[in-house]
Amino acid sequence: MSLSPEIVEPVQATDPVPVERGVVGRSPGQLAWRRLRRDRTAVISGCTLLVLVLVALAAPLIEALYGVGPHDEFKHLLTRRGSIPLGYAGGVSADHWFGIEPGTGRDIFIRMVYGLRTSLFIALASALVTAAIGVTAGIVAGYLGGWVDAVISWITDFALALPFLIFALAVMRPVELRFYGPREEVPTWFRVAVLIAIFAAFGWTSTARLVRGQVISLREREFVEAARASGAGLGHILFRQLLPNLWAPILVSFSLAVPAYVTGEAALSFLGIGIVDPTPDFGAMIFRSIAYLQTDPAYVFFPGVTIFALVLAFNLFGDALRDALDPKSSR
Amino acid sequence: MIRFLIKRLLSVSLTLFAVSVVSFLMFFALPKDPVAGMCPKNCNAERLERVRQELGLRDPKVEQYAAYMKGIFVGRDLGSAQGGKCEAPCLGYSYVNSEAVTDTLGRVLPVTLSIVIPAAILWLLLGVGLGMLSALRRGTLLDRLAIGFSLTGASMQLYFVGALLLLIFTYQLKLVPVPHYTSILDNPLDWASGLVLAWMALAFLFSAIYARLARAQMLETLSEDFVRTARAKGLAKRTVYGRHALRAAITPLVTIAGLDVGAALGGTVITETTFGIQGLGRTAVYAVRGGDLPMIMATVLIAAVFVVVANFVVDLLYAAIDPRVRLS
Amino acid sequence: MRSKVAATAALVLVISAACSKTTDEGEEVDQTRTATGVIATDPKDSMGPAAEVPGATKGGTFTIIRENKISHLDPQRVYSFAGLMNAPLYARSLTTWKDDGKGNLTLVGDLAETPGTNVNKDCKVWEYKVKNGVKFEDGTPITSKEIAYGIARSFDPDLTGGPTYVQEWLADSADYDTKWDFKANKTSLPPGLTTPDAKTVKFEFARARCDLPFALSLPSSAPLPPAKDTGVNLDNQPFSSGPYKITKHTPGVELVMERNEHWDPKTDPVRHQYPERFVWTFGADPDAGANRVIADTGGDAAALAFNGVPSSLVSKVEADATLKGRTITSPTPSAWRLTINTQRVTDLAVRQALNYAIDRQGLITVYGGTTVASPLTTLMPPATIGYKEYDAYPAGATGNPEKAKEVLAGKAPELVLGISDDSTELGTQLKTNLEKAGFKITVKTIPADAKLDETKKKDNPWDIWLDQWAADWPSGAAILPVLFDGRSIKAEGNSNTSYFNNDAINAEFDRVLAMDPSAQASEWSKIDEKIMKEQAPAVPLFVEVAYYLHGSKAGGVFISSVFGYPAFVNAYVKQ
Repeated sequence: MSLSPEIVEPVQATDPVPVERGVVGRSPGQLAWRRLRRDRTAVISGCTLLVLVLVALAAPLIEALYGVGPHDEFKHLLTRRGSIPLGYAGGVSADHWFGIEPGTGRDIFIRMVYGLRTSLFIALASALVTAAIGVTAGIVAGYLGGWVDAVISWITDFALALPFLIFALAVMRPVELRFYGPREEVPTWFRVAVLIAIFAAFGWTSTARLVRGQVISLREREFVEAARASGAGLGHILFRQLLPNLWAPILVSFSLAVPAYVTGEAALSFLGIGIVDPTPDFGAMIFRSIAYLQTDPAYVFFPGVTIFALVLAFNLFGDALRDALDPKSSR
Repeated sequence: MIRFLIKRLLSVSLTLFAVSVVSFLMFFALPKDPVAGMCPKNCNAERLERVRQELGLRDPKVEQYAAYMKGIFVGRDLGSAQGGKCEAPCLGYSYVNSEAVTDTLGRVLPVTLSIVIPAAILWLLLGVGLGMLSALRRGTLLDRLAIGFSLTGASMQLYFVGALLLLIFTYQLKLVPVPHYTSILDNPLDWASGLVLAWMALAFLFSAIYARLARAQMLETLSEDFVRTARAKGLAKRTVYGRHALRAAITPLVTIAGLDVGAALGGTVITETTFGIQGLGRTAVYAVRGGDLPMIMATVLIAAVFVVVANFVVDLLYAAIDPRVRLS
Repeated sequence: MRSKVAATAALVLVISAACSKTTDEGEEVDQTRTATGVIATDPKDSMGPAAEVPGATKGGTFTIIRENKISHLDPQRVYSFAGLMNAPLYARSLTTWKDDGKGNLTLVGDLAETPGTNVNKDCKVWEYKVKNGVKFEDGTPITSKEIAYGIARSFDPDLTGGPTYVQEWLADSADYDTKWDFKANKTSLPPGLTTPDAKTVKFEFARARCDLPFALSLPSSAPLPPAKDTGVNLDNQPFSSGPYKITKHTPGVELVMERNEHWDPKTDPVRHQYPERFVWTFGADPDAGANRVIADTGGDAAALAFNGVPSSLVSKVEADATLKGRTITSPTPSAWRLTINTQRVTDLAVRQALNYAIDRQGLITVYGGTTVASPLTTLMPPATIGYKEYDAYPAGATGNPEKAKEVLAGKAPELVLGISDDSTELGTQLKTNLEKAGFKITVKTIPADAKLDETKKKDNPWDIWLDQWAADWPSGAAILPVLFDGRSIKAEGNSNTSYFNNDAINAEFDRVLAMDPSAQASEWSKIDEKIMKEQAPAVPLFVEVAYYLHGSKAGGVFISSVFGYPAFVNAYVKQ
């Protein structure tokens, strides 16, 4: 198989730098924004995300209006024999819009509202931390090259070689033991922090590789040369000259990382790590519901559809963002 | 090229060494005492202590690590509690499974390979096919459907899809037998029918990424000069797209596929659990839960080897193609 | 596209299930089943062949589906429930239980002609005569020598996992393996164990051991020819003395047992040899196991789901008319209690208040409903011989927080609840429940795999936690002294997890243990009530209810009255 040299180039550049060709004098950002607004998918998915974020933020307000809290129990609405909600569609009623949980008898709707909060926070925070680490490592490695690049690249390879789920499973408990005494309750915020740390430890590599590739192609450009010639410091070159040219790929990888962490958190709850009862959380909820697929499908349906919508909206928005920032690949 | 090869090989060995050290240390941080569970009802602290000593768990960690490494390269004697002499490559004796780790690996490795490799072929074909199709028919209904399909897959949970597939095809329609593993050498048909649901689930989820990538890559390639030139020269559409554009677009996809397959081989925990098949991933989870040091070491190392080797092969391919990579 | 068909089918399923109304009907499990047990006095009871199972046919493959592998197969190491239910198929012990599956138990001789001769009537010297015609899978006869060797090898510290009663009694010490070193003395026998002739096994103890006939019913008294001893490797390929032998074993995947032609039904009072083979398949989780049996296709039609029907599937199984006659349900001897660490919770009033406060109904609801658990107010489960029901702290099905507050008299004890991280919902339930009665509960999650080991350590840091106990034989002697004799407390590996030590109660244990086994039964329930009324070292919660499902072609399965799990000695495949 022969490969023409032209096509080896775009290997690193699945997300190329935005081509700056403003004819009317608009900045690339303005251009992207205009394109985004014209894209129907982007508008719809963006609005969906906005609504979900608002719901998550307004959880206590919703609780006050709805009149039921995430920890209230309604065990009298369950069958004695199998602990399945009485009535239709998993106990859906005027008081319990999405029915109640089998076993514990808690309200599904309000737990989803609060669960959205936990899951979105974990995903967004992980994506932010990941991006920060990845971008820094990528810029430094790409610009400095040499042994710094070799070391950072080796660490990247090393992080990639560790099986994520196994390590997450092994790390969670010792970390808790390390920080909390045997008679102390591990607070939810700590578990959230550990989850974010785990995601960050394993997630930064792809951003780092992406950014490194971009920087390598940028570092010989004239504007960098000019800055270097005029005696600009390293920090200035890295973060004032290079970084602004990297926003597009970073934004895209960020928007695609968030849904990956939402599903990642659900995958971890499959292994029994992460947020524990009674804290409402989407990952834990959807995992627990799977067992009831046949006997209480409504319990699977409501959280399942919501998490699907959330992830799908993020994915669609990420794609639209990519198209908007990179007109070459859009129609 | 030789220098590049040596450099990469050194880096690979260093990575594997680091992985082995990290997983070794990880074991000692685990809250589970592998010995405490060995007498379930009434136990005696001194007896447990003797077992710990016999297993070498009381030796200095460096010594334990050295003994483990020695076992891999020259073999070692594990003592009567662990099946006696253990030939190289000796990965130790599993506390939990009561058998030599190499025996367990010999059994579970083919299972994981049988899940991942056909699934990877399926998701590559499906993903690249869909991506190509939607790139060539950009903006049409077909494009939207293909993208919609792949996005749906990307937004689902594997255990969710798996549970649905099982419920529908196995328990309700009874079209597909209960997932199980038979060696392909014994009965290829049974092998395929036992794993087909796992392949479908994995392909559905993974093809999404490839469809999107393939689409973007294809669009990019189509706008390249050499494709236009080829079209302008009057070459048939099929020849241009099929031979030139496809080839160009597929290279980066193979790169990512290499890494994905490497990663999947080390971590099909969820697939294996959902479908009740005993492969490498599940063995690793049991090992961590049971505090089974030799098994943890072996599974983590194997997983790392897959990823590292996949990486290495991809690098070599690039180096062979592009001399610039060798120099940097 | 396949996915569309799938999506449509899924949608139909969801809608049909969502639109049917869930009601609270169905028959309750008979929770009154208790055990009556005797030790056979007539040697005829120990003779074979076992009575034919009505409707049983020969041939076929009986499949057992289970999530995890059986932890040990080596008879000297078998101790898990799956192992104990499976072992009788390939390992015969000195004594065994004749069980009608309804709680009527008779202890009979298995390899021995009788359940044992108490030579001097003081429980210190026991003699067993080996039956004629008992053989290993290679046709060699089983003599006292191989039986004694089997017991001797259970002293080997390499062979972890098995019960230790007989070893400790022979050595008269918990450090039995230092008292007698198996590896150094492979050709001799442990102290007190002798084989006067090829037909006689003799036990001589320093103290009265009236429970010996019961202890010998565990597979650790199975025979083994010294030449066939492969040490730790025997675990994957044991040498059979029962009606089946292991022909293929892939650890963690599959265990195949086929008929042993050298097994003579005339020597065996309990076992049959109906199916051609038994196959255990491992890997399917409880949901998958139940779903496979519901689907009833191929080999699964003659299968049993050993993990039972998960509570999430109970309502489906009950609603399905085609599954009628394919379910087995029965309370088990597996009793759950809220253990109170009496080293930390020294105030009796606090322990009694916990007993008044407990909401058993709420806990059972979270656990999965009355199909999987049944409330319990005694320390011994109803399936114990001589069981007598009582409630030392009557507070109704959902507890009485007011009464608890009254007992606490204004105190608000702060307690740390240790909960396994795979049952955090039970922790939430307990916290909500107990805080209503004025307690302040801190929930501390413990990794599920480490919880058992950790709570068995004497200096563990928790105040209360959930514990579960299933006796090795249905006598109070295998429950109360094991759980509450304070003299047995050691640094780790405790069964007395309440770390309860009371001289008066200990003296009671000694008094009853020296009695003839048949006279002990009613005494144990008196001690049970005494411990609860005077000391309250635990809160009895519920017994597990077994809820099993088998394929349309599987027959003869019953729930063991001893262990509460499905027994296979009568199993057959309908032809």
